[in-house]
Formats: sequence, C-alpha cells, structure tokens
Amino acid sequence: MKIPAPAIRALQQLVGKENVLTDDVSLSLYAYDCSLSRTRPDALINLPNEQAIAPILRILHQYAIAFVARAAATNHAGSCAALNGGVIVNTAGLNRILQINTQEGYALVEPGVITGDLQDQLAPLGFFYAPDPASERVCTLGGNLAQNASGARCMKYGGTIDHVLEADFVLPDGTEMHLSRQDPGPDWIGLLAGSEGTLGIIKRMKVKILPAAKHIKTFLVTFPSLADSVQTVSDLAAQGIIPRCVEAMDQVTTRAVEEFAHAGYPADAQALLILELDGTPAQIEKEEKQLESICLQNHAQQFIPAKTEEERQKLWFGRRAAYAAMARLAPNVMVGDGTVPRSELPRALQKVRQILDDNHIYASLLFHAGDGNFHPQIVFDERNKPDAVRVTRALKEILQACVDCGGTVSGEHGVGVEKRAVMAYQYDAPTLDLFAKIKRAADPQNIANPLKLIPLDYANKARPALPPAPAVQALAEMLRIRREAHDPIALIGGNTRLRTHAPNTLSTRSLNRILEIDKTNYTATAEAGVTLDELAQALAKENVFCALPAGKGTLGGAFASGCMPDFYPHVLGLQALLPDGSCVRYGGKLMKNAAGYHLTRLFAGSQGTLGLVTQLTFKIFAQPVRPVRACSFRPGKATPLWRALKTQLDPEGLFPSLPGGTNA
Amino acid sequence: MPDFYTPQLDPQHPARHLCRLETPFGARTVYDSVSYCNRCGSCQQACPTYLLTSQETFSPRGRNQLVRLAAEGKLNLTRNRRQAEETLNSCLLCGRCTQACAGKIPTAEHMLELRRTLRTQALPALLFKLLSWRGTRPTAFRRLVHTGLWLRRLGLLRFARGCGFTRLPGLSWLNHADDILPAFPPAAQRRALHQAFANTPAEPTLIYLPSLEAEFFLPQLALSVLQLASQKKHQTLLWPNTSSGLFEYVYGDLRQSRRWVRRLILRHASLHKGKLPVVTDSVDVYLFLRRAPQLFAAWPYWQNKAQAFADCVLFVTDLFPPKLSPAGASARVRLDCGALFSREGKPFEEARKILKTHFKKNFVECLYKDAGTPAFGYSFVRGNLGEKICMSAVRSIARTQTGTVFTLSGLAALELNFQLKRFYPQAKADHLARLNG
Repeated sequence: MKIPAPAIRALQQLVGKENVLTDDVSLSLYAYDCSLSRTRPDALINLPNEQAIAPILRILHQYAIAFVARAAATNHAGSCAALNGGVIVNTAGLNRILQINTQEGYALVEPGVITGDLQDQLAPLGFFYAPDPASERVCTLGGNLAQNASGARCMKYGGTIDHVLEADFVLPDGTEMHLSRQDPGPDWIGLLAGSEGTLGIIKRMKVKILPAAKHIKTFLVTFPSLADSVQTVSDLAAQGIIPRCVEAMDQVTTRAVEEFAHAGYPADAQALLILELDGTPAQIEKEEKQLESICLQNHAQQFIPAKTEEERQKLWFGRRAAYAAMARLAPNVMVGDGTVPRSELPRALQKVRQILDDNHIYASLLFHAGDGNFHPQIVFDERNKPDAVRVTRALKEILQACVDCGGTVSGEHGVGVEKRAVMAYQYDAPTLDLFAKIKRAADPQNIANPLKLIPLDYANKARPALPPAPAVQALAEMLRIRREAHDPIALIGGNTRLRTHAPNTLSTRSLNRILEIDKTNYTATAEAGVTLDELAQALAKENVFCALPAGKGTLGGAFASGCMPDFYPHVLGLQALLPDGSCVRYGGKLMKNAAGYHLTRLFAGSQGTLGLVTQLTFKIFAQPVRPVRACSFRPGKATPLWRALKTQLDPEGLFPSLPGGTNA
Repeated sequence: MPDFYTPQLDPQHPARHLCRLETPFGARTVYDSVSYCNRCGSCQQACPTYLLTSQETFSPRGRNQLVRLAAEGKLNLTRNRRQAEETLNSCLLCGRCTQACAGKIPTAEHMLELRRTLRTQALPALLFKLLSWRGTRPTAFRRLVHTGLWLRRLGLLRFARGCGFTRLPGLSWLNHADDILPAFPPAAQRRALHQAFANTPAEPTLIYLPSLEAEFFLPQLALSVLQLASQKKHQTLLWPNTSSGLFEYVYGDLRQSRRWVRRLILRHASLHKGKLPVVTDSVDVYLFLRRAPQLFAAWPYWQNKAQAFADCVLFVTDLFPPKLSPAGASARVRLDCGALFSREGKPFEEARKILKTHFKKNFVECLYKDAGTPAFGYSFVRGNLGEKICMSAVRSIARTQTGTVFTLSGLAALELNFQLKRFYPQAKADHLARLNG
C-alpha cells in the first residue's frame, strides 16, 4: 500500500514531522512482534498524546489507509504485523497512570502503561491488578485488553476481560466511544477484549483493582505422571477449592528450569504442580488439609509448602523462568496456547506429546492446569526452513487436537495471523460469517488491523456446521416465515421483564431442556427457555450451584435482557439464531477462549436486537455461591457500534429495534 | 551448528571484526548471536533509551533486528546510514538488556560490530583524535592533558566558552568536559601520585593500571587504590598512561585495540612469568580485559595468552579486606551500576556486598527500572540522551533521599556529580574505592 503524499502531510501537520516516520530503518524495526511474522508497514506514527488518536484515524479513514495499533508488541500471534502495509500507530508512549482510586477500587490508565508498572504502584497501597500475564514486566494494559491476556491467577480471578470497567475507544472512522460496564446493552468492553485492534484503538482504560491478599500460601507438589497432576486439579474443583493459582510443568520444563534458575524443583518428578491458596489463615489451613489429602490420593510424591516468603518467591521465580529456560536453548521458541475442558487435559496432553514425538520436536509442556490452558514451548531455529515448516505443521496438528478435544486454538495469546488459518478448525461457517460481519460493522473499509483473526476463504475450509436441535430448527423455521412475511418479531423468554402485550412475540419457552450438568468440568449447559426455578431445582438435585438467583424468568432472558450483568463472566459458551436463520456456536466448557470475538459478550444484554440466544453453557460450583444481583430492565443506548451491528446482522429489522426505536 | 549459509556484516574486512562473540552459552558468530533474539521484548523495559522514547528504534530488540536485517542484506545500510547511526549511537552499551534477556544476547557487542562495519565515528572527531594519542603518542598525550588542565585552571576555557568559541562545530564537547571535570587537584595529591609513579618496587606483587580519569583528573582515586593495595601488603607497580585498548574497542579500530591488548599481555608476561595480578579502578576496563580472549578468536596462540592475562585481571573490589567494619551513623548510600557491556557478575556482586556490610540498613537497593549513569563517554556521543538518562538516575537518588552514590568508574562519578550538583546537591557521587576516603 502506498500512502498518498497528502495523507502524510495531513498526519505530519497533526502530530508533527518527527512523529510520522517513513524511513527504511524505522519501518523495518516495526515489522515484527514476538511471533514469526515480519511485514513492513509503510509509515509509522508515534502518538504524542491520546487526543491525537481520533483525528489520526479520521485522516486514515478518509484516505482508506490500513493501520495497526502497536504497543509493546510482545504477543505471540502476529497481531501487530502490518500484513498489507499501511500505518503502525505506536501507542507505547501513552504510558501514564492517571489515577489510582483505592476507595472505589479502580485505576485510570493510558493503554501504553506496562502491567508490571501498575502492579508496582499498587503494591505499596495494598492493592493489586488481578490479570498477570507472564510478560507483565514488559507488556501493556492496552495490549492485554486487545489480546484478552491472562495468566496464572486466571482460574480464580478471570482474565483481562473481567477487569476493565470502562474504556474510551476510537472506531476506525475516528468516532469516539465511551464504553462502560454500567451501561445497559451488549457488553462492548467484552467484545473489545481479544479483538486484537481489528475494531479500533483503545484510548484510555479504567481497570478494576483489588485489595491484595494478606495471607498467601504456596505449595510445590510432585507427581509420577502428568495425568495424576491434572486429575488432582479436577478433584480440587470438584471439592470446591479454587486455588489462587494452579500451574503445572512436565519434566522437560522442570529440568530446563533447574539448569537455568535453580528454583529447587525435583528434577526426577515427571510432573509438578505449583498451587497457591489465599484467604483467611483459618480458611487456608482448612483448604491446605483438603489439598494435601487430594494430592496424596492422586499419588503425589512430595507435598512441600513454602515456609518463608523467600521460598515462595523462589518457587515462582522458577515458574516465571520457564520461558527463559527454553528461550536460551535455540533462536526461537514457539509457544502454543491451546485450551481444552479441564477433563480433557490428560487426553489432549497425550495427543500433544505424540505429535511432538512423531515430528521429532523438542518441546516442554507447561500449563495453567486450572483453566485447561497448556503451552507447548517448542524450541527451533527459524533460519532452518525445513525445521520451521515442521514446527509450524506440528503446532497446527496440536491445535487441531485441542479442537477435537472440545477446546479452542487460543486460550490467552490471541489469533493474529499465526492462528488465523486454524480458526477454521474451531468454528463453522455461520460463526465465522458472524465474526466477519462484526468486523464489517465496526470497520466497513477494513482498515483496522486487516487480515487478522478471520481465516481467508473459509467457506470451504470451515468446520462443518452441526444441525441444530429440532426445537431450535423449529424456531429457525418460524423466523424464516416471519422474515418472508416481513413481520417483525418481539423476542421474549418468560416475558417476566419485558412484560409486552405485543401480538408478534416469539417465545423461547419451547427450548426447555437442561442438556448437561458436568461435574468434572463444573459446567452446565441448558437451553435458553429453561426457567431459573427449573434450573435451580435441577442443579440442587445434583448438589451443585450456580450464580443465578431462582425466579420465574428464563435463563436466556436473564442473560440477554441485561438485568444480570454480573452473570456474564460465568457464561462460557452459547448457541444463537441470527435474524437470517443461521445458527452460530461459540465457546463451550472452556474456562477461557481468546479465539475470535467474544460472542457471549456480544449477545449478553443485547436485548434480542442482534440474535436469539438458544443455549448457554455456564459455570457451576460445588459450594453455594452468592447469586448475582438482578437489576430492573433498562433499554440501552443505541451506540454507533450497536447501530452498525444491527444493520449488518438484521438489515430487514426482523428482531426488536434498537432502543429509541430506530436501527439506522 | 545450523547447516545454512551464515551471513557476515562485513565479509571483506574480517580483521576489523570479532570473529566470534563469547556468550554464556559458548562462542557464537555475530549473526548467530543476533539470531538468538526471538523478539520477546523482555529487554525493552530495561533499556534507558527505550524508556525515554518509547520507540522501537531506540530499543535493544530494535537494535538487534537492525543488525540481523543488515547481515541478511534486507536493509541497505549505505542508503540508510543516518538513521542506522542514530539507532546505533544512541545505545549506551550498558548491558541492561543482556541482564534482562533470557538468552543473554550481547546487544552492546552487536552494536559495536555494526559500528565497525559502518566505520562510524561516534565521538567528535577532535576528541577522538586527542584521546587516541594515549595509545599512539603517550608522552604527547600526557603533556597535552597537563597543559589543558593548567589552561583551564587559568580560566582560558571559561573565557572560550564566554566568547562562544566552544560553540564552533566540533568543539562543543569542550563544554561538557569543562562541566564534568573537577577542580585542579591540590598540589599535595599531585605530588603524592607523582611519587607513586616514580617509585618502582623491586619485587612487585601487584600491577595497577590506572584509568585515564584516575591518572589525570582524580588523583585521589588512584591514591585510594594504592592505599587499599598497601593495606593488603602489596608492593604495587604502576603502569601509567597505558592504553588498555578499550577506547579503540568502543570508538576506534578493533585492530588497534588488539595491538594495545597484545602490548599489555607481553608487558605482563615479562614480569614474574605473567603471574602478577593486574588491578584496575574502572569496571569498564575490567570487564573488557576479562573478555580479552574473544578479540583473538582467530589466533589461538594469542587467545591462550589473553586468557592467562584475563585471569590475572582484578577490580578494586578484590582489594577490600574480607571483613569490613560497619560505618557509624551515615546518610543513605547506593550503588550506581553504570558500566559497559554488563551489570552482572563478580564486581557488581562484590561491590553490593561491601556496601551492604559497611552501611547495613543505610544501603539502598536500586529498583527495577532505576537508570545508571551512562558509561565511558556516552555523554560525549549523545549529549541530549545522556543528560536525560543521568537525570533519571538523579531523580531516583532524590526519591530515595540518598546521600552518597558509589560508582564503579571514575568517569561515572564525574558525570553523576555534575548532575547532582545541579539538581540534587544534597547528594554526591564517588568511586567505591574511596569508601574510606
């Protein structure tokens, strides 16, 4: 892409000549991130301040110039590579922490703030920011949101998606939006998380901060096999023990770490777990006993608690050094990021080891065992082409194996360009179509980080779509009839919140099956028309609990009406019917998923305007949990992005109109 | 070793370059070494220039990629010389990136190799010429420095600055030199040092290789080193006005650097069968001489000799008594780790241990991102960046209310003292060897 001279002049006038660079050296040094991708942009803009973002994007939009927002560029997916040239917008300079409010529990930051720097500022105040990607010393908060990064603490606290309260965001045409979790309507921040800069640029963020745990205890447990260590994690969840962190390593990793960092890991153990508990001393003591007993039941060889803070830090130093220990062995380390349901972890790991052996690849395995997220770290030399091809092929096979185990191709690193093709393994054509429509809605000119996330020519490569259940098929048929008759529909569940008397309602009450209560993964799958009372009864029968209160309303209604926003992080997967009759499927029994746009968050609180949710998979618990708060039904505000999405997904206005009665 | 073609930066002139770089994982070619950077970015937040600019072109990862692209022929350096030099010369060569890197990528060495390829003159031409005389014309150099110091004492330099003479092209370095240099040393110190130079022990047990600043500008530093040596009952032989080869290694021709190191090796070998320890007061010189064998990777004979010589090189921390008495009530102190190539290893650990033992709770540990003073003349290469980096160090010193900052080279103490006097006069900087005055 050649950038027109008038565009360069306009940009230079806006941000100064020194901040618009087109020399070969600068462009070559903005051609990469931590992946293997290397593509040179045509220009580079160093942002002098956050106010410049919107005017810059307006100029780029005017000239239809592609752009990629780039901060620390530490991602492993190639998300920062400017594939078709265009402009790199360097946000690394926007690195001010604007405010820390411990009273209300938030920090106001610019997107280029280093995650570790925020932690350093919070620590003396007795607070912390929960997401802890392994690269937190160098990665940025904006990058974390764009990739929906997470780390060891994800099992207990969730990923970046759950820790951003508000965000100022600029769409590719320069439209500025203020997104807040308080506003009714779809969870826009959730949609933004993991969008990898394909929807626009983050300008400012308000992130949630939490009081730091005063009492923490860390344990090192060794096992004779990986399967035993993974089974231990499942058993912990079954007992209702949610450790602060659960990290696992295989023997290859342990040995590499010991050679490099001397963390005191037993080199003869086939697998080891690092478990960390927090809470009150009494609670920790109680859980420690349960923990030890569960570990011993699963053939644990050693159960070593860290006696001092120094010992604890040493254990974590070893874990943090796991990447470094491998990185020093060869010029390149390719880090996989597959995630599977926890129960599938032993099977998936066995497959992965087989693939690595078949391809004669040296790799270590370490994983966030609590989330089913594992990182094969493959060392190789990219200069050796046959080697690089073999590794790339093996990684694809590994990701295919993850998908076969009901998993995702990315748990926390994102898709970018490196995993773009394998997205077709995971999603069927209607779901990929929906991703493409979301992208088109926010960015009709396809200028914001183009050619990422969505596989090219996926129509023939996408995973075959499964036929929907008969009840869903019946609803789809009714939709078709209404569409052909140009007869708009008012979607309802139990009509407990909307309380409409409209004649054209379409209820989801026919979708009334609880499909599965999985006590291994601690997830439940139910159709949208199931009432909350029915759900509570069914769960009680199995002696498990969920975060939804009992009531007459339906599960789908509770989710899509926006009355229970605190329930959104509990939802792991969904199925939905779109106005065109297609059925999309997203997520499943996965504790995290960073592949594609977060459809659960798009439909959450969308009030039926974008699609009809037919089925949900959500977290359940072994112990009673406090039900989420329920607020009254509030019609949302029709934002530009909502309007654009409505136009893309429902051009004929078949589903309920946007608040205010207009879709345009 | 990979079985593919290994590009070289400057295949026509192998002698001007290091044949192999010594890394903790064995000897590697420059291309191999730079290829071990997997672009993870762990180094970025350790780099003082990246922290100042937030630009990849001023970051270790960017610099390594520049070398790699140049070696692979994917970036034409002739056409992009100015920008490439900007990226190269802005590097402090401080080794903080190497410390942060899992693969211990020696970015500073890569930068020097690319400088040698481009024949980059990082220092102002006149300053380079004058300083290179220390190796080529030592007597003339000594006279010139002494004359310069006298003229400065007489106020000629201040007059020249007032007249605007130092604003002439190529002379602006005189301003910075005038700023950082201390007052003319007292006569007693000069006499004592002169006496020490003249005194040649019959049976020396230690050789002292004073740095340029200790010999000409900070005689008290040289005297402190001699005092430390005498406390250890050493008969010290001084090698005055001797180039270690580091100046040529960083700013000049590698062949010249090899010559001076060979000269040192021969001179050392001629005394007591080459077994005498050689002590230096500059951590930069120490680190350079300890790694001298890599200069001779293509000449095994000299490499062996260089290794034997390197094993004899000591830093002043080795002269401190093993048991230090704790200091009385004192202001807080800290260690400035500003050095060339590295911030890890024995001298840094020893220095930290000495200060911890001596000052106990008054010793302030530096934070993760605390800047060090730019080392070995960086402020003459990139004055604007050098000042800002020094200012970051001053800010950190003020934040921790430190009273004394100990450095591991005299030049770093001079640089830091100048900025402290301007912005935080409550603190002062001094060389670690001057711990006991």
